[in-house]
Amino acid sequence: MTNLLNDNTLDTFPKLLLKHASQRSNHDAIREKDLGIWQSWSWAEAAAEVRALACGLASLGLKRGDKLAIVGDNRPRLYWGMTAAQSLGAIPVPLYQDSVADEMAYVLDNADVKIALGEDQEQVDKVLEIKQRCPQIEHIIFDDIRGLRDYDQAFLHNYETLQQTGRDFDQQHPDFYQQEVDAGSGEDIAIMLYTSGTTGKPKGVVLTNDNCVITARNGIIREGLTADEEVLAYLPMAWVGDNLFSYAQSYVAGFCVSCPENGATVANDLREIGPSYYFAPPRIYENMLTQVMIRMEDAAAIKRRVFRFFMDHAAKVGVKILNGESVSLKDSLLYKLGNILVYGPLKDVLGLRRTKLAYTAGEAIGPEIFDFYRSLGINIKQLYGQTECMVFICVQPDGEVFADTVGTPAIDVEIDIDDNGEILYRSPGVFHSYYKNPESTASTKNEDGWVLTGDAGYFDEKNGHLKIIDRAKDVGKLNDGTMFAPKYIENKLKFFSFVKEAVLFGNERDYSTAFINIDLDAVGNWAERNNLAYSGYIDLAAQPEIYQLVKDCVDKVNADLAKDSRLGKSQIHRFLILHKELDADDGELTRTRKVRRKFVAERYETLVDALYSGIDECHVKTEVTFEDGRTGMLEADVKISNAECYPLESSTQEAAA
Amino acid sequence: MPTWGFRMSEVTFFIEVALSGLMAGVMYSLVALGFVLIFKASGIFNFAQGVMALFAALTLVGFMEKFGMPAWLAIIGTIAVMIALAWLIEKLMLRHLVNQEPIILFMATIGLAYVLEGIGDIVWGSDVKVLDIGIPQGASDYMLDNFNIYIEKLEIFAAATAGILVVFLAIFFQKTRIGRALRAVADDHQAALSVGISLRTIWVIVWSVSGIVALVAGIMWGSKSGVQFSLSLIALKALPVLILGGFTSVPGAIIGGMIIGVGEKVAEVYLGPFVGGAIENWFAYMLALAFLLFRPQGLFGERIIERV
Amino acid sequence: MSERTFGDTILAVKNISLSFGVMKVLDNISFDIKQGEIRSIIGPNGAGKSSMLNVINGFYHPQEGSITFKGETRKRMAPHAAASHGIARTFQNIALFKGMSTLDNIMTGRNLKMKTNIFWQALHIGPARREELENREAAERIIDFLDIQAIRKKPVGKLPYGLQKRVELGRALAAEPELLLLDEPMAGMNSEEKEDMSRFIIDVNDEFGTTIALIEHDMGVVMDLSDRVVVLDYGKQLADGLPDEVRSNQAVIDAYLGVPHE
Repeated sequence: MTNLLNDNTLDTFPKLLLKHASQRSNHDAIREKDLGIWQSWSWAEAAAEVRALACGLASLGLKRGDKLAIVGDNRPRLYWGMTAAQSLGAIPVPLYQDSVADEMAYVLDNADVKIALGEDQEQVDKVLEIKQRCPQIEHIIFDDIRGLRDYDQAFLHNYETLQQTGRDFDQQHPDFYQQEVDAGSGEDIAIMLYTSGTTGKPKGVVLTNDNCVITARNGIIREGLTADEEVLAYLPMAWVGDNLFSYAQSYVAGFCVSCPENGATVANDLREIGPSYYFAPPRIYENMLTQVMIRMEDAAAIKRRVFRFFMDHAAKVGVKILNGESVSLKDSLLYKLGNILVYGPLKDVLGLRRTKLAYTAGEAIGPEIFDFYRSLGINIKQLYGQTECMVFICVQPDGEVFADTVGTPAIDVEIDIDDNGEILYRSPGVFHSYYKNPESTASTKNEDGWVLTGDAGYFDEKNGHLKIIDRAKDVGKLNDGTMFAPKYIENKLKFFSFVKEAVLFGNERDYSTAFINIDLDAVGNWAERNNLAYSGYIDLAAQPEIYQLVKDCVDKVNADLAKDSRLGKSQIHRFLILHKELDADDGELTRTRKVRRKFVAERYETLVDALYSGIDECHVKTEVTFEDGRTGMLEADVKISNAECYPLESSTQEAAA
Repeated sequence: MPTWGFRMSEVTFFIEVALSGLMAGVMYSLVALGFVLIFKASGIFNFAQGVMALFAALTLVGFMEKFGMPAWLAIIGTIAVMIALAWLIEKLMLRHLVNQEPIILFMATIGLAYVLEGIGDIVWGSDVKVLDIGIPQGASDYMLDNFNIYIEKLEIFAAATAGILVVFLAIFFQKTRIGRALRAVADDHQAALSVGISLRTIWVIVWSVSGIVALVAGIMWGSKSGVQFSLSLIALKALPVLILGGFTSVPGAIIGGMIIGVGEKVAEVYLGPFVGGAIENWFAYMLALAFLLFRPQGLFGERIIERV
Repeated sequence: MSERTFGDTILAVKNISLSFGVMKVLDNISFDIKQGEIRSIIGPNGAGKSSMLNVINGFYHPQEGSITFKGETRKRMAPHAAASHGIARTFQNIALFKGMSTLDNIMTGRNLKMKTNIFWQALHIGPARREELENREAAERIIDFLDIQAIRKKPVGKLPYGLQKRVELGRALAAEPELLLLDEPMAGMNSEEKEDMSRFIIDVNDEFGTTIALIEHDMGVVMDLSDRVVVLDYGKQLADGLPDEVRSNQAVIDAYLGVPHE
């Protein structure tokens, strides 16, 4: 293994693939659950698949520098599509599979995509619709023929047929493939990933092979990952994290990646695979915890009591044990017993029994959620990263894991903080450019290779870890001049299981206010247990009992803020529970489920105005998009509630100035 | 030796009592199993299950005594008779009662019980018969020597047989086409018809299987206490077993039988002297009554929830 | 999509009359279904649509008329014969095996495809085991087709209504039917579920060439899906023809918009 990690000639993914295929030909490279059974392909088989597809793509005219769009769920064939394109020096552009045609059209057009590889009819239909507007799309390839039998366009190709064409091509030009792979180098462009961007149009982040391979390798070295890891590829292929964890690191370290059966089976597939290396954004950890808690509420009294007892014990000593600190013999034995009775089975249910390393990133994670998993003995750590550097900026070192920091710089990463408090970094992973967007490239990356993250933060003096407060541009000021960091407070709200999403207002206002989205699972369950009848989200969100429930959460956050000398003035004076769930289909969230703050503020202007006027109810009309693309109108009377504000505990006001 | 507070011999005695109860319980289980099978597949409460056990045992003895068949041949012959019986029951009884109320079907099985009893009486005679198909008899020396516990070999044999039967039935029910079809018929007649399951075939199969289970029960009981008409009365003991275990659960029938068996033996020995004995006769019914009050679906039965 | 073409007549009912006591449920109904088409039977409540399906699959035995299926004419169908000759169906009020898993329900649909005798089955070895595996794969293909992998092992009684309908379709498909009878497959569904179900019906017809006879209430769905429509009202046949013809038929308009029957 080490020889692979040190071999600098293996500077592209096709070269890495060929190396594994020759050295470790029989080891599993990738798996997919199909017809209820896990099918696997060895490195040698995967290499043969890639070779056939690459030759097929070449026969369609895909050349060095051309773009191949890839859209669909995590499938071996789509991952092979990436390597096949890279073999030819062409550039794969993975797209979010749930994006609607309009969003997809922008990327396909902007990226100058020549060939599109779609998973199934749903994706092909979207590309076909777009093709009218984007004539540069020459061919469309599909994996699953279902529903496509009657499509007779000459530019539509079946994946399998194309591979056959490729094999014929390969026979006629036996040296072609190897020559193409050899022609590739580390400086070549490996992939383009479009950032969803909380504002404006998505930007194509151009990453070179060196960016990807070196960063992947550094991550492997830092965490001591091996070729024996098990990974489940379940996050969108268009997202940089999936590209790192399920593709780049798999090719560098040589571990096997498993693709779930479909989106709905992930929890089950997770249990069957039992990944040793796992990534999930905080909301997934949150959901898992919520599910566990709901199930425990319904369990028999005795089971519940045993669960509580051992969870309390884990909360007391679990994190210490994980960090390698010493605990008393009695505590240690009790923890072992708990492992047999509760923690082990629980980790099995979650699919995390074998997890050696679990990452989370993207959003702040609630301290109690974080501690819950760590107390079970799951080594979950936070990292801080961006698409612009192939993920890694900071990672928490083992044994130094805190809920409110993102750790120390990753290998080969330099970090600086500018006068405005914005974080800058420089690393081998720093991106080549934004595609066809030199202005953005120049405003993000300076000539010395330093990249502005757009995040505000500082190094914690106690432990030297980086701490992120908010997006630099989102940090504003209240009218009295004190700092207003909306995301920091929103995160505090979201740590309550009843609150799914929160949007704070306050910049250039006298006080701060909030929109709240309740969590339908958690609040619905609470309502059932308290015999509260409701007919759906809108109805539930308007109930006075639920307002009281949310008010308690807001009050607690305010009490907490009152202790903070910098943010004490940002206590939430008034809030409302939004009549609909914020939805990516309506443009309110990004595809990675981040709130588009400005968009939301404009869309619900009347509600924001109402928060800053004295009224306690407001009528709104909102256009909504259903999953099938149709639109409709939603009307509701939204109540506005006041929250409890607390006097500031510390009188060191000057600290805030 | 640690101080137990009582002498070892008392512990041994208790174990002995419990074990003998357990073995008797296995016999109840076997009869209850036959009930469960038919109830699961057709929703019929087969009152004749006990008589079927008697009938099977009578036939077996008859084949051996009157025709001088060796035990194995007599068993095969009896199985054939039980299958033929199932076929006849379908042909003459069930077929004509399709879509009738459960109570009507129940009444029909009462009639069936009398018919079978009568036929058995006429064909094989009403005297008590000894059934010996070569199952080892007497006390287990191994248990006696090593643990100082007295157990009949026959009882161990019966327990083992019941265990094998249950595993076999579980696989049959869960993993095979016919097993699935049996469960399908139990669930929804119309839907079963629409996928081409023949109700009649299924009924013949399920009555045959339950006839074979009855034969096993008949052999065990018959070997223990002779083949006589009181054998059909064990069906009455199977009723509390079913209430305990749930009418639709195969493991429920087994465990329910064991609980009743152990319970009544232990109660008889330890509580009997205080109430003047004979607890064994009513203990099972009291237990069943308690269950009806607190857990009417039984230990393993599907919970009956009326949704609003 | 290319022009739809159909094969020969797969099923023809002729002069079917069915009554229960004095109640005449079907009165002299005749229509045919061609190989590969999607044929709808519509009509107001109590028009006799479900009874018609029950006649076709042998649950009801008509007093008059004949049923010709795949060239064989008979007075009445028997459920077992219907199933074994390639007619599968779903029910208006979902008739699934509620205690069994999705997979087992669909496997039950393969009942007639499995032939090994009870002896091998009882031992669960040899041919029975091989057959079980082959049919498991066929069932898995259907699970994949209907996108219900996530509920494979769940007892169907606990599934939401829309999914139960889908599993029921899966069980019918498992028999690889030549004629599929769907009794209000979209009853009680929301618009999104209806759209999914429509998609599946089209895909079934497209992918497997299955002929489909459909009862449905939602006019929009019927007109979109069907190749031909027959209209019943009070057990009488009002019209039979292409969706557009039926839509503009005065008798049909009257039946739907005229004096309410209830």
